[in-house]
Amino acid sequence: MLSRAQEAPLQGTELPADPEVVPAVRWIPFKIGQPKKQIVPKTVERDFEREYGKLQQLEDQTKKLQKDMKKSTDADLAMSKSAVKISSDLLSNPLCEQEPGFLEMVTAFDTAMKRMDSFNQEKVNQIQKTVIEPLKKFSSVFPSLNMAVKRREQTLQDYKRLQSKVEKYEEKERTGPVLAKLHQAREELRPVKEDFEAKNKQLLEEMPKFYSSRIDYFKPSFESLVRAQVVYYTEMHKIFGDLTAQIDQPGLSDEQRERENEAKLSELRALSIVADD
Amino acid sequence: LAEHPAGMASPHTEEPPTKGTADPDRMELSQRLAVEELITTEASYVHNLQLCLSDIRAHLQQKQLPDFDLEGLFSNIDDILHLSRQFLRGLEATAAQEHDQLLGTLFQEFKEEMETVYKIYCASYEHALLLVESYRKDPRLQEEIMDTLNATVPHTSASDLSFFLVMPVQRITKYPLLLGKILENTPAGTSTHQALAAAVSAMAQANANINEYKRQREVATKYNKAEHLTLRDRLARLNTHSIAKKTTRLSRLLMHEAGFVSKTEDKEYDNLEEKFQSVASSVAGLKENVASYMAHLEAFLVPAPHKRELQMEEGPAQQYHRLAEHLHRAVFPEFKRRLDRLVWQPLCSLSEMLVGPQQLVKKRLDKLLDYEEIQERKSELGSVTYDEEAAMNTYLAINALLVAELPRFNQVAVQLLGQVLGSLCVLHQDLAAEVLHEAEKELKQLPHGHMPLPAFWRLVEDTLQQAGAQLRTFTQAFETVTPGPVTQPLTPAEERKVLSLVSKHGPDKLYQVTSNVSGSKDLDLTLQRGQIVALLQRVDTKGNTSRWLVDAGGPRGFVPAAKLQPYSPVQSQQPGMQTPTLESVPDRRRHSYASPEAPRPQVATFTPAFQVVAGFSFAARSPQEVSLQAGQPVVVLEPHDKKGSTEWSLVEVNGQRGYVPSSYLVTVPVQEPMGWSLPV
Repeated sequence: MLSRAQEAPLQGTELPADPEVVPAVRWIPFKIGQPKKQIVPKTVERDFEREYGKLQQLEDQTKKLQKDMKKSTDADLAMSKSAVKISSDLLSNPLCEQEPGFLEMVTAFDTAMKRMDSFNQEKVNQIQKTVIEPLKKFSSVFPSLNMAVKRREQTLQDYKRLQSKVEKYEEKERTGPVLAKLHQAREELRPVKEDFEAKNKQLLEEMPKFYSSRIDYFKPSFESLVRAQVVYYTEMHKIFGDLTAQIDQPGLSDEQRERENEAKLSELRALSIVADD
Repeated sequence: LAEHPAGMASPHTEEPPTKGTADPDRMELSQRLAVEELITTEASYVHNLQLCLSDIRAHLQQKQLPDFDLEGLFSNIDDILHLSRQFLRGLEATAAQEHDQLLGTLFQEFKEEMETVYKIYCASYEHALLLVESYRKDPRLQEEIMDTLNATVPHTSASDLSFFLVMPVQRITKYPLLLGKILENTPAGTSTHQALAAAVSAMAQANANINEYKRQREVATKYNKAEHLTLRDRLARLNTHSIAKKTTRLSRLLMHEAGFVSKTEDKEYDNLEEKFQSVASSVAGLKENVASYMAHLEAFLVPAPHKRELQMEEGPAQQYHRLAEHLHRAVFPEFKRRLDRLVWQPLCSLSEMLVGPQQLVKKRLDKLLDYEEIQERKSELGSVTYDEEAAMNTYLAINALLVAELPRFNQVAVQLLGQVLGSLCVLHQDLAAEVLHEAEKELKQLPHGHMPLPAFWRLVEDTLQQAGAQLRTFTQAFETVTPGPVTQPLTPAEERKVLSLVSKHGPDKLYQVTSNVSGSKDLDLTLQRGQIVALLQRVDTKGNTSRWLVDAGGPRGFVPAAKLQPYSPVQSQQPGMQTPTLESVPDRRRHSYASPEAPRPQVATFTPAFQVVAGFSFAARSPQEVSLQAGQPVVVLEPHDKKGSTEWSLVEVNGQRGYVPSSYLVTVPVQEPMGWSLPV
């Protein structure tokens, strides 16, 4: 049988006089687990939300941009391939054997299309390297960030819980066991609080840095996008310029072309073998 | 007078000029009369044409009747009028000069134009008659027509338009007859006779050509439409006759293929048809490919990556945005529009036109089989029925038609294809020019717009590499935001486990699980958040440094390194407490825990991170017990007594060892933010 000592004076570890946690003596019961005092000042919380909010938006935008870029380049490749199909199918048609003039035209056209396709492939590769890959890398930072924010949140919850525990003991009558428990609670609270503050500070520092890093980070990507287009279309201009000189009459207006087409169609329509409706 | 065009003169109407005694004077008189008849009838013809055109047609035109096909009725009667007026003038001129030889020459001069103009009119005459018939049945239109006739030509006994419409058809057949009459009254052997004879045969030939043309047109119109018959329609068409016909054809076709019967070889036609098939397949293929291309173009314009601006107000992002916006909004739509007008539409029209010839080619083959069949019978029996003769003629007509027109078709179609391809080239050239025009503007504003390409790409590569490194530091920074202290209470069993781990492996090998781990592979461990393990290896059997081998106080296995956090028993501040990361990149920043401001408790340095403290004072009552001062830290040696009861713990305090009541002990965390408390 043991009996507890009537009074166990507090000694041993010195309780730090923690100026921040000054429990207010209230007689109104409060919810267990919620500290009475606002742990994190509203302004700080607001700043945090704002910075994190910006980053969440950025995450969303970079993901969407990556997806759109991929879709765009895939469609680009498909389009180029279907252009090549136009000329290569014509080239393999027996008509080319039967009409030498036509053969010459279609061969030149086919060569041009194939060259354009290979330039297109190069362009897409360049975009992959200088835009899509960097986007992916940038996006890969977000999971770590989100994890860190979550951990901060967990810590905050722990902090709040421990804080309210301390406050609970601080309100009670100061008996020996109570004091021991209070001491213990404070001991528990302190590292958690410090941890939270560390996390909070670190994130508040890093998040804006990361956010503003996007500007310099993506500059090369956007420049590359513009540059790559210029390269591709310069080739296109040259190749088709040469081709037009070879197989077509340059300088015709659209109206003239339409009239020429219509003239041929009328000639055909005039034939009896062509049904008119 | 032949009313029906089928009754046109046959090619040989040259009558021998042997009418009894050649009385030169009578002959000359007859000749003169015949010439006069030619001229007067021509004059009256022209007059009637005039009436028809300027009065009747004009009157009807003014009425602006809906559903009234003026073009179909009157066809190219203006051309006929124009031609005939000229011809009449020529006739009058030759008569004035009294040189009959000139007459022959005149006909020769006009024969070609006559053929060209009349054949069109005659070929559409049947259609005009059908129109007249249909309008006669419509009381309202009939009334209008009668009204016009009464207003313009009351002196004639015309009851409907056909009275006038038939005139050109009749006239052209008259020329050989009238000429013939003149010829028979011309002395043979003279140059005039020769000239006139030539004129007669020329006119006869013209009539034959007009006939042929008409027949071809009829056959073409009959067969060049694709029939869109449902299965029901096809079945309805079956009767003994049609079945017999098709069976005969099929057997003949099989005989062809098997070589039993020689095919009617027509090299010329075969070449034409082969060419035509190539043209047809080129057109069809091109149309399909262009459609596919246009669909891809549409798909290309759907994603709008330039709309995601990443909130970058200025700089290259904006340049790109502007360029892409312009391309999407202006340049490509224009390209699409021109593509439609200059490539797609013509291809569609050309494709439609293939149908007629394709049908005729099919029909020709059918009719050829019939033809051969009948031909055989003809050589056996000597003659064939009227219908069979007609069927043979149909084949001949189709064949002639195709041979006549396919070359032109093929040629024009190929030319059109060439034009379309040319347009396609120009469209690409213009597209490129437009893009470049806009891009040059943006390029100027880019920071490295002027840099030559190879240098630019190198620069980009280098910059991106550096940027990648910077990203890694950000990732590091975020990852080293420490996982929170695990504030779950440790069970006594866990505590004991920790002690044994420490004694086995040492305090510096301890790690705490930061979030639940569920093992998936054989040797993986499943652990709860907060559990303590001891590190055995920083790498798994395959060399993967993200899986660590740990001792969980009994079971041993692998856990992801990312879910472990060092659990340091040492009090002093640990610089560089890194969570295990995959890379060995030197941290640009080392995260250190915030150091507590509290003075350190007096504890022995080898104690684990939890600290046991006396909660209350206790006075030892026996040599096995030891006294405690409240708040005094103690070292728990055994959390139970010799009998195993946990009510008492063996502790060391102040250099003394002994038992104390377990409930008098409290566990408090040291300054590291890992700690837990026993439930109070």
